[in-house]
Formats: sequence, C-alpha cells, structure tokens
Amino acid sequence: MGQDGLATQKRTSSSLPTTATNGRHPSRLLPRGRQIQKTFNNIKITILCGFVTILVLRGTIGVGNLGSSDADAVNQNLIEETNRILAEIRSDSDPIDPSEPPEADINPNVTYTLGPKISTWDDDRKNWLEGNPEFPNYVNGKPKILLLTGSQPNPCDNAIGDHYLLKAVKNKIDYCRIHGIEIVYNMAHLDKELAGYWAKLPMIRRLMLSHPEVEWIWWMDSDALFTDMVFEIPLSKYANYNLVIHGYPDLLFDQKSWIALNTGSFLFRNCQWSLDLLDAWAPMGPKGPIRDEAGKILTANLKGRPAFEADDQSALIYLLISQKDQWMDKVFVENSYYLHGYWAGLVDRYEEMIEKYHPGLGDERWPFVTHFVGCKPCGSYGDYPVERCLRSMERAFNFADNQVLKLYGFSHRGLLSPKIRRIRNETVTPLEFVDQFDVRRPVHGNSRS
Amino acid sequence: MLDDWLGARRGYQIRRAMRHGKVTVLCLLMTVVVLRGTIGAGRFGTPEQDFHDLRDHFYSRKRVEPHRVLEEVSTESGRSASAQSESTQSSSSSSSNSYETFDISKILVDEGEEEKRDPSKPYSLGPRISDWDEQRAEWLRNNPDFPNFIRPNKPRVLLVTGSSPKPCENPVGDHYLLKAIKNKIDYCRVHGIEIFYNMALLDAEMAGFWAKLPLIRKLLLSHPEIEFLWWMDSDAMFTDMAFEVPWERYKDSNFVLHGWNEMVYDQKNWIGLNTGSFLLRNCQWSLDLLDVWAPMGPKGKIREEAGKILTRELKDRPVFEADDQSAMVYLLATQRDRWGEKVYLESAYYLHGYWGILVDRYEEMIENYHPGLGDHRWPLVTHFVGCKPCGKFGDYPVERCLKQMDRAFNFGDNQILQMYGFTHKSLASRRVKRIRNETGNPLEVKDELGLLHPAFKAVKASAS
Repeated sequence: MGQDGLATQKRTSSSLPTTATNGRHPSRLLPRGRQIQKTFNNIKITILCGFVTILVLRGTIGVGNLGSSDADAVNQNLIEETNRILAEIRSDSDPIDPSEPPEADINPNVTYTLGPKISTWDDDRKNWLEGNPEFPNYVNGKPKILLLTGSQPNPCDNAIGDHYLLKAVKNKIDYCRIHGIEIVYNMAHLDKELAGYWAKLPMIRRLMLSHPEVEWIWWMDSDALFTDMVFEIPLSKYANYNLVIHGYPDLLFDQKSWIALNTGSFLFRNCQWSLDLLDAWAPMGPKGPIRDEAGKILTANLKGRPAFEADDQSALIYLLISQKDQWMDKVFVENSYYLHGYWAGLVDRYEEMIEKYHPGLGDERWPFVTHFVGCKPCGSYGDYPVERCLRSMERAFNFADNQVLKLYGFSHRGLLSPKIRRIRNETVTPLEFVDQFDVRRPVHGNSRS
Repeated sequence: MLDDWLGARRGYQIRRAMRHGKVTVLCLLMTVVVLRGTIGAGRFGTPEQDFHDLRDHFYSRKRVEPHRVLEEVSTESGRSASAQSESTQSSSSSSSNSYETFDISKILVDEGEEEKRDPSKPYSLGPRISDWDEQRAEWLRNNPDFPNFIRPNKPRVLLVTGSSPKPCENPVGDHYLLKAIKNKIDYCRVHGIEIFYNMALLDAEMAGFWAKLPLIRKLLLSHPEIEFLWWMDSDAMFTDMAFEVPWERYKDSNFVLHGWNEMVYDQKNWIGLNTGSFLLRNCQWSLDLLDVWAPMGPKGKIREEAGKILTRELKDRPVFEADDQSAMVYLLATQRDRWGEKVYLESAYYLHGYWGILVDRYEEMIENYHPGLGDHRWPLVTHFVGCKPCGKFGDYPVERCLKQMDRAFNFGDNQILQMYGFTHKSLASRRVKRIRNETGNPLEVKDELGLLHPAFKAVKASAS
C-alpha cells in the first residue's frame, strides 16, 4: 500500500511538475505546452534576428546578385551601352526621316550627266576674273592651285584606318601650307550614283565652277603622302596642257595596260576642255548595271585588268585610248618625277635616300609622292599584309615629317618612332636658322607670300 | 554544477552575469560589423572588400576590370591572361591582311635615347630672348615678300592645333579628330588662315595640356611673319563659318581669350577664362608671358605641388595636378599690373563656347538667326570640354558627347556645303541633299552667305 502510494506520488510528481520544487533544473519541470510555446518564441526570435542580419549584410556587402557586385553590374551595362553606340556610329545607317519621300530609283534609260552642259566656260571665266581683280588666278606669278582630297563620311572599319587618314591629312596640310595651296577635304557623297572612287568627278566639276579663280584643281587620294616637302610642281611646263597625270605612254598606247596611268594624283586645269573631259568620263560611273557592264567592257579591252565593276582609272585610260585624237594633245603623261609614286619600290629605300640625296628632286632619288595603293587601311582587308603596309606608311609619314620639323630643330627618333629629338639647340637668335631652313625662302628657289 | 561549488544563489548570479555577458559581447560584435560596413575601417577593410577578396579567391579567372569601358578586347596586348583567352589569331596577324586584329605598338620603334634634362637647373622653355621685337622688325623689313599684314586690318594668322601621334584609345576617337580638322581646314580656307597641325611632343616634361607652350614659343620664333598665333584645342569646332574675328579690336592687345574680367580678377574662378581657344601676338611680351606661365608645368612633383596651390587659391577648382588654364587665371589675378593691360578677355562672342549650353539649340538658331553673329545666337566655336573623345572615358556620357559632336560638325559643315548647293539631310545625318540645282550659268549664282568670294579673302589688287 505504501509502495502504491509512493508510486502514485512519483507519478504525480512526474506528470505535474510545479515550479515550486527545488530549482535544480527548472526547465525539465515546465508543462509540455509551455515548453512548446517557449520553443516557438525562440524560433521566432531566431528568424527575426537572422532576417535583420541578412538585411544589414546586404546593405554593407551587397549580396544581391550572387557572383557579381553592384559596381560590376553597372560597368557591364556601361560597356554594352558604349559598344552599341560605337556600332551605331560605325554603321552606315542614317536616322530615317518619315517626312522625306523615298529616293527614286536610277532610271537606266536616261543618260547620266554631271550637270547641264556648259559650253562657254573659258569666256565666262575670263570675264569673271576681269570683273573680280581681288580674286586673281595668279598670285605672285604662281597659278592658284586647290588640292582636293577626301574620305568616307563614316568611321573606318578599324580605328587604325582613321588614324592614318588623320596623319595623311596632316601631311597634306604641311605641304600645302609651305607651298600656298588651299585644301578642300571632302567627306560628303554629292551624288549617290557616283559613289566610291567616282565621287571625285562631281566634286571636281563643282569646285571648278564655284571657284573660277582657281587655275588648277589637284586631286589626291587619301592614301597618298607627300614625301618631298621642297619639290614644287613645274607648272610652267604645262602651259599648253590641261591634264597632268602620272603614267607611261608606252604602257598606255602600246600595251593598253589598266595601270598605264594613275588617277590617285592628277591636275585638271579649270577650263572648258576639262569640263568636256569630265562629261565624257562620267558615263561609266553610275552605280548599278551601268557600272557593272562598263566593268566588263574595260576588263575585255585593257591588259591585266581583273574583273570588277568599272573604276575611274580604267575608264579614263579607255577613254584616252579610244578617243586619242580628241584628247591626247592636251594631256601630259608625266613620269619625270613621282607625281604618283607606287610605295612598294620606295619605302625601303628611305635611309639610302637620306644618306645620298636631298629633298627637292621629286623623282626616284627623293620621291615627291608615295602612294599606298592597295593598302586600304580604312577597310577591313587590304591587298598586302597589314604589318608591311602600316610599317611603310609610318615610315613615309615620318620621312616627310622630318623635313617639316627641320625648321624647328627636331627630327623623329627613327623612321618608325612617333617621338622626336632635338637636332639643333635653342638659341637667342632663331631667325638665322629660319632663313636657312625654311623651305619657302628664296634660297630654295621658292617664293611666296 | 556551479551550484554544487558555490551555492544556489551564487550560482544563479553567476549564470545571470554570464548571460548578460554573452548578450553584451554579441551586441558589441554586431555594432562593430555594422560600423565596419558603413564607415569602413581603413586598413581593416570593409565587408565589401572582404567579399571581393573572397570572390576573387574563388573566381579569379572571371574578374572584370572596372573602368575599361571603351576597349576593344582583341587589340589589347597588355591585358591579363584571363582576358587574352578571348582574343583570336594574334600569332598569325603578322602575315594577315586583316586590319582588325593589328596592334600598332608592334611596329613602333624608338631609336636613340630619351633626352634627360638636368634636374638641378630650373625649367625654362629656352634661352631668354630680350630683343625679339627688334629682331622681328628687322626680318620683316628684309623680307617684304612675307608681310605680317595681308591687308591693313587683316593680320597673318596661324591656327595651331594638334593631337597625339599614337592612335586614340577610343576606337572612334581618330574619326572625330579627322572631322574636327576638316572643320578647321574649311574655316581657315574661307578666312585665309594657315594651319599647323602638331603631332609631336616637343618637350617630354611639358606633356599633356602643357605641351602647347613649347610648341607656341617654337612657332612664334620660327615664323616671324605670323602676327597672331591662334591656338585651338582638337575638341573645338567652328560653328560659324561666316564670322570674321574683329582684328581691329585687338590692335592694342597681345593676348585674347574668352572669359570675364570679374570672374578672373575678382573671383579668381578657375573657369573665368578658357585656354582652349586664344590669340597670341608674336612679340616680346608674349615670349615673356610664356616664360612666366611655364614654371607650373613640368611633370612630376612640380606640377603636383602647383596643383595644390592652385586648388587652394582659385575658386571651385577640384583637386588635380596643375593645368595651364588654372595657372593662367592665377597668373593674371596675382600679376594684373604687369600683364592685365595687354590681355583682352573677350565675352562678346564665343571665341570659346562651352558645348553644354549650345548644342541643343542648333535647330532654334537655324530658325531664328543666321551665320556671322559669332555669339550666343550663332556661336563661332563650340568647344567640347570634358568629352575627351580620344581617351577612354571623359566627364560626360559617351553617347551625348559623340552624338552632339556629330551635330556640331554638321551644323558647321552645312555652311560650307551651301556654297556648293548642298546641305546635310539633318543635323544627325551624314548624307547630303541638294538645295540648289545645277545650272548652265554657275557664275551668276551667289551662295547665300557669300562665302565663296568673301571680302576677308580678297587679295590686294596690286599683288601679282
């Protein structure tokens, strides 16, 4: 009986724990429900604290995107945005203007012309010059020349192309400043039909008619560099001619070669004859079936010409061969100096030239113009290895730049170096060197004002 | 257990104390972590840095370098190995005909040694010349073929600008330099001004914006026939082709810049004038000015220290090394008696026009005004300060800068094209359209602005 009572007591005590018992392990004596409640409370607090911790951490470290931080995400967006902008600038696309009518297609039945026919240009021009003595065509005994060059309106396919266009234009600016020639740098396609290498024709005509005071218009390709800063074109030699172009008469008439002449550098006198020649030259140019068909004719008739659409050089050669009597008496095919100098045979000899010769010769001893035909740095691919082309262009540029810097007492540290070094110390009487080294001084045989 | 040793109450107190201690330590830890995250404890680092380090430790190959926004991965040769895995055919480019993967630094070779200046001697632009006016006057007398005045009010001017001989880091930077020089060629052809485009660093110590000083001095001394030298930054474009600088206004001045007298002399504001476009007369005074201007320029410690002085002395100048513009403000503000008389701070027209306030108004200008004004109605020069199209990152968003430069270029180009009967299809378009048909009597057609045969280009009738 006693044992039962004890057991009951024990059972009671174990099933009904009270807080008033000895404080040894109070938790063990809490009722079940209370215990669960307490556990829940603990869990709630734990979750809350965990939540707060994550918030704080996120604020400080930024664990938003796993694997990349905030700054990087912004950067990534910037890079993508910039690439998009650059691609847009580089593309040939134009913002479309909805108010503009769509461009009319070329009608192949209508003969293309550069403009309404003018037949009294010589007289018109003479009258204008007499009526405007403040815009003479001869200044200090020298005829007024306008150098025309240009490049495409959109960026080159590669950055290096634009860089060499920039260097080429600096080179032309230097030569023209020294020799009193004005430059027109064309970046507009005046006539969408005559695009590409044909774009020079409408521009030449336009300039002739707008500037009657200009005696000669000199077209020069964007990939041609002046390498003789002292040499001046002997215009008095061409008093009876209207077109001066570099080439070889035997290649032209005997072999009918497509490279007999080079239209990368030539001079047109501002006169009626030139306008007529331009009108006769243009018909092979219009883009599309006309140009393609013309290309086939040219390939068939000219020696060595590959098959491609008609280009201005081949067309001119064909024109001069087939209408020899009409034009050739006023065309001077010049090869006594390098009005156009094919680069491959010249660029490696610059050091030899520096050693043996001097500027002012203009011929194979010291070429007047080094023309980088086939290099095409503005495009994606050229006809020659890129390294050779760019290395040679850099050398030609520095070769010419040295002649300009000589006046200032500097020279490049090597033909491949953009850096310069002093070759003459500073002095308190700089004018004695100016007289000695300035290309424009009478000692060099040039005079201008 | 504690109770057995110390007694029940004591044990309870100690346990309570321990509980409190735990809570305190935990709170302290939280505080430190939060503080570290917000303030950043210097060399102890921030949680962010910790995170970066941890991430780098695990993901070292995919690290994206910040700030390299405008790079072309394929042409970069100095990158870390992780990036190089993306570039292609670098070994075969020596014989390839493709311009895309070519790295120009492969072909550039500097022969000879760098010139070293003696650091113990103070920097100078050159040996001091004190009789330049006399030397020049004598030379002009002896060389009547090279007069310094083309007509009574038309001095001979040389516009000087330039850029780096190395390709731009930005792939389209060189294209914008090309457009800018075309723009200058056009203006100068119409106005009878000569151009000198500099691509050579004459003095390695005066690199960056200071490079113009040795160049200007060299050109003044080598071209005595030049009366005014017009320096123009490569990021400035002519937007008024018809405006002729009023030379008579400056007959008693030697240095003409765009700016405001109050901002320079009274406020000493670092943008009180702008040295991106200024005129400098070829005379002794100018040589002296250049000599006094130069000392803050030499690269290195001198430029850094000078920068601190300028930031302290000038209003609103941020902290960076000394630049030529701030140095000029400081020079004029502190030595007004010596130089102020011959300095003309022009604000009647935009010899320099900050692009930010001009480029959005071009359409409004076309509608309401006409070229030839040169001022806020039709700015002479729009100067893209801060755009830095040749570098990798400028102070403004790339898109705004480049698009606006296109617009400014076309705005100026329209005035040239109208001479020949054309105009751009819109200010954003590279294409042109005809505004005047070809005619059989081209000489009877006059261009609207009279730029084909302007009065400021006329040659003296007796000169031939």
